[in-house]
Amino acid sequence: MEFLLENILNLIGFLVGLSIGIMSFIGFRNTGSPTLFRLTIAFFSISLGFFVIWVGYMTEDFVIKSGSIAKWVQTLGIAIQTVGYFFIAFSHGIKSFFPKSRYFRSIGVFPLFLISSVQIEHIFRAVSFILLAYAAIETMLSYFENRKKGTISVSVGLSLLALGEFLGWYSFLFPESILYYVSMIIKIGGLIALFIPVSKVPLTKIKFDEG
Amino acid sequence: MYYVIEKMAEYRTHMKIIGDILSTTQDDLQDENGASVTYLIRKANISHSRISRILKTLVSQGLLEQVESQGSNKYRISQSGREFLQAYYTFTNFADSFGLSI
Repeated sequence: MEFLLENILNLIGFLVGLSIGIMSFIGFRNTGSPTLFRLTIAFFSISLGFFVIWVGYMTEDFVIKSGSIAKWVQTLGIAIQTVGYFFIAFSHGIKSFFPKSRYFRSIGVFPLFLISSVQIEHIFRAVSFILLAYAAIETMLSYFENRKKGTISVSVGLSLLALGEFLGWYSFLFPESILYYVSMIIKIGGLIALFIPVSKVPLTKIKFDEG
Repeated sequence: MYYVIEKMAEYRTHMKIIGDILSTTQDDLQDENGASVTYLIRKANISHSRISRILKTLVSQGLLEQVESQGSNKYRISQSGREFLQAYYTFTNFADSFGLSI
């Protein structure tokens, strides 16, 4: 049952991410906008991350059956998703997130060494959470300017993804608990909230510019 | 505070300026021959040197048509330009949903 649920959730994540990625790509091909290019990379990465986890689990359970690669597949998938979250945050001007002081920049390097014994997966989850929280706040601020319903849907989606990443990261304290599945469901809810405004984009007359 | 000031300045992206120019040549023409450079400068609110570069690019890309009328150049939107503008409007809304500008 758990295996089935996890596979379904990863598959939904893959399809929703792919749909938004394709939409962004069509936009990029038609307008040449760098913002849409970054969104394309972001959502293709998120989609690919879910796909890697899904394929990895399927391969592990039906072909290899060694029981040893699942953790690495999960880490790889989450790392790829983190790249996607980075590009969403980057689109909001990630530079303002980094400390400007030379001193703070220098001590910012130390945590990389201090946390070397922690599993890489949890580092990626923590980074994803920060990037998503940042993007959610920036999107919410944009909503206060443009008052568009789609913007608040995206902000809620990014917030849910952040919460999902946080719970996923927190679940390592309680292995085998329901926390991990709750985090997966919340992340899928977040992706669906992101997809709501995208699904309303009229594409009837939009076509690829072959030139 | 910095954020508020930055947002109040309403920075326009290159894409937004192109959108404004194409929109003027589609919906807000002076006459049937097209819009003059002076008119576009006023409507798009950018400098002469910058709009000259943009107009040259838009004409070379086939988004605008350059017409000579009474000794001066006028610009009107082409069919490709109309399609681009429609895509621009569509994906502006798409990017707006993410709190971004294209």
